[in-house]
Amino acid sequence: MLTLEGVQVNFGGVQALKSASFSVAEGESIGLVGPNGAGKTTLFNVISGVVRPTAGRLDFRGTSLLKLPEWKRARLGIGRSFQIPRPFGHCTVRENLLVAQRFGAGKKDPKRIDEILDILNLRDKADRDATTELALTEHKALEVGKALATEPSLLLLDEVLAGLETSSKRAFMERLAAVRDRYRLAMVIIEHDIATIAALCPRVLVLNFGQIIADGSPDAVFRDPEVIRSYTGETTLAEAS
Amino acid sequence: MLELTLQALFSGLLAGGYYATVAVGLALVFGTMRVINLAHGELVLLAAYVAYAAETNYGVNPVMAIPVALVIVGTASAIVYALLSRIHQDREINSLILTFGLGIILTNAILSIWAADIHSTSDPWFQDSMVIADTLFAMNAEVAAFVGGLVLMAGVWWWLNHSWQGRAVRALSSNRAAATLMGVNPRKIEILSFLIAALLATFAGFAIYTGKTVFPALGHVLTVKAFIITVLAGMGSIPGVLIGAIMIGVIESLTVTYLSASLQELAGMILFLVVLFVSPSGLFGGGRALAR
Repeated sequence: MLTLEGVQVNFGGVQALKSASFSVAEGESIGLVGPNGAGKTTLFNVISGVVRPTAGRLDFRGTSLLKLPEWKRARLGIGRSFQIPRPFGHCTVRENLLVAQRFGAGKKDPKRIDEILDILNLRDKADRDATTELALTEHKALEVGKALATEPSLLLLDEVLAGLETSSKRAFMERLAAVRDRYRLAMVIIEHDIATIAALCPRVLVLNFGQIIADGSPDAVFRDPEVIRSYTGETTLAEAS
Repeated sequence: MLELTLQALFSGLLAGGYYATVAVGLALVFGTMRVINLAHGELVLLAAYVAYAAETNYGVNPVMAIPVALVIVGTASAIVYALLSRIHQDREINSLILTFGLGIILTNAILSIWAADIHSTSDPWFQDSMVIADTLFAMNAEVAAFVGGLVLMAGVWWWLNHSWQGRAVRALSSNRAAATLMGVNPRKIEILSFLIAALLATFAGFAIYTGKTVFPALGHVLTVKAFIITVLAGMGSIPGVLIGAIMIGVIESLTVTYLSASLQELAGMILFLVVLFVSPSGLFGGGRALAR
């Protein structure tokens, strides 16, 4: 579905991504982890079109994404949420979803909007002002909802669980799993909570200093000495403790 | 005394209508592109001079020249947009320099074609007065401009709140990155906003030519006034722009009536500074929200 080959991003003299290569299959869920500044959000920015890569190949379902602007990528089926929710100004929750659906999916389907509202537990907030009348969990749900309304086949979720309490996080995770199963989506999730990643994603990619240093099951990846070193600066957990 | 005050308030209200029609175009472009078009007043002026040329050179009623003016002002706006869209770095600052320069070019083009004289319509209907509620006087042109301006602004407000393109403008205005990632084509929406601003500028130009006087340096004055009103309202609120414009119009009118015409601009500036001091994001600002 999505293939990256040798993708590099330079910001002036800083190499934010160094030859990143991986692919995402239809319906696959991947956790993307790494220390702060590893290049995770830059990778999302490259896939969604916010940042142009300095070098490399980027294909989505056989189409090269390199020359496509963000909005065309959205219409191709790449949905994205942001780490810091910022709904469309003074629109209701439903209007936010309708705008995303109208422009991202090119249609108006109120039934699907109701379904998204239900699955994300936002139905009773549908007519509230999204800027001023939502709690943090609801803002996060709306971020996912907007991306879902564009009818994506690949969903990129950037720290969508960050800042939530443990109980809210668990409920949110269940909703994400329900979303994935309902719409048969491929998902790439940036998340710092390893337990969450392990529960949601059978495959994990680890980025460090702009390089993919591990790719595999959560069990294998989180035992990898290089991954442990990237987080702790030490070779093993025993050394780290 | 009461009659004089009421007349001053009424004249201020009508003047506010002119100002609001100019300012809404500026606010719309700012909301969509985060660009302050410092050539907006000159676009209004261009429309006014098309009306003048139609009346003096071809002897037609200025209103009949509105379609021609729409094409001319729309084309000039499209050129401004095309140049603005080529700015990829530090757009907010560089666009100020570009549009300021374009405004100077337009002013000088008008000056070289029509000279520096002051003009106003010679059509008697526009200059005839009407009496409202037995005591309030206004020129036909002023009332027509106020009513027409209100209808246009209501149309823009409706468009922003109820059409898909309008919702896309609000989405871009509040979160450009998210809007484009939800499939909104920013270029298309920006062009549309520029064209609607051109429509408002054309109407404002005709309103000013028929109800006031025009001269080449007026464009700059209009831009500054529109900018003050837009900031006073809180960058981007259309009802806020209307209320801000009426406030400016009323305070100027009261100053002219009770103090001196030479203090008119100063009074508006003082109101502007006081509002910014009390509420730095303007009267209705804070949400970067267009329309509501």
